[in-house]
Amino acid sequence: MKFASNCTSAEILAGAIALGEAGDEQRHAYREHLSTCRRCLATIGGEREIERVINVVAQARDQEQWQPDVRRALARIPARRFGWRWGVGLAAAGALTVAILATQRHAPVAVRSVAMPDVAAVAALGTQTMPQREHRAESLAFTSAQTARATITFEVRLNERGKPARCTIIKHSGRASLDAALCNAVMRAH
Amino acid sequence: MRSGLETWVAMDRTAIAQGRTEELVIEHQTKLARYLRRMVGDAEVALDLTQDVFLSAYRTLQADPARELRAGWLYRAATNAAISFMRRRKILQVLPLDRDLDRSAWRVDEHGAQSVDLQAALARLPVEQTAALLMTSYAGYSSSEAAQILGTTADAVRQRVCRAMKTLRHVMNEDSLS
Repeated sequence: MKFASNCTSAEILAGAIALGEAGDEQRHAYREHLSTCRRCLATIGGEREIERVINVVAQARDQEQWQPDVRRALARIPARRFGWRWGVGLAAAGALTVAILATQRHAPVAVRSVAMPDVAAVAALGTQTMPQREHRAESLAFTSAQTARATITFEVRLNERGKPARCTIIKHSGRASLDAALCNAVMRAH
Repeated sequence: MRSGLETWVAMDRTAIAQGRTEELVIEHQTKLARYLRRMVGDAEVALDLTQDVFLSAYRTLQADPARELRAGWLYRAATNAAISFMRRRKILQVLPLDRDLDRSAWRVDEHGAQSVDLQAALARLPVEQTAALLMTSYAGYSSSEAAQILGTTADAVRQRVCRAMKTLRHVMNEDSLS
């Protein structure tokens, strides 16, 4: 961020002040500029004025009442137009369990024990064309101070023998170590 | 202890995209639709545009189920949709280019003493300024994050926010005089 040597820079500084991103140095530079620029003083105002104006937007946001239901609107769209319809297609083909117990102190998560589903059984659920599958796994990571839970969505491709050939994380847990631990466990499953 | 439990769902590509889109809808629909409403100034239009954004997300996920779609992606699509809509409307409108289509004003009681119609103020702004202001102070993104979403620099976002505030301040002062 540049300092206020002219009105354009002052606008940038004022924007930073409004967004709570300006440090002391930037605030000082803005004040310096205002002391010499009557135009900016008149059109933007001082720091308090900036905060007053921007607070109106925050207030307005907090007072919002409108509760749109896009999902309902989407459901009304003819399926032929988009080729799909909400609320169908989530047919569960089987129920299996995955648990990763991971221990974490300050080091990356290490998998302590893994209970994996029978991948061959999963293969049997599908068709002969090696379909993609989505597996939702709930992983539990225990730390000494707290228990964390994460949901990971991943995709496993099986080879012709029904064994895992590739694991792709579709929705990350937010912890790379957990994601990696899950994929490692999946790839090791027989 | 519950040993972790999961339902394995055999889905084709379409169903995966559908499921993930539905998650996005549940998580983001309210904020996104409200953002769009304030961008375009009309609730019905905002609802239509929000649908378009989610359908676009669905198609993207259908083409690539492993694609990571975050809120930023949705806001970028929403902003682009709003900008296209407003530009189209400006071309189509013969008479006054006012964007105050929403039947209800968006009034804010400032410190309980004064009421400001923020929607009317936003209607006076160039669309880029509206997007920068709403993306940051309304949707909660930092200027750097907003810059990424809007395809510009953080300083440009700050400057647009400042310019939007100038107009807003002017409207507020007008309101207090009237």
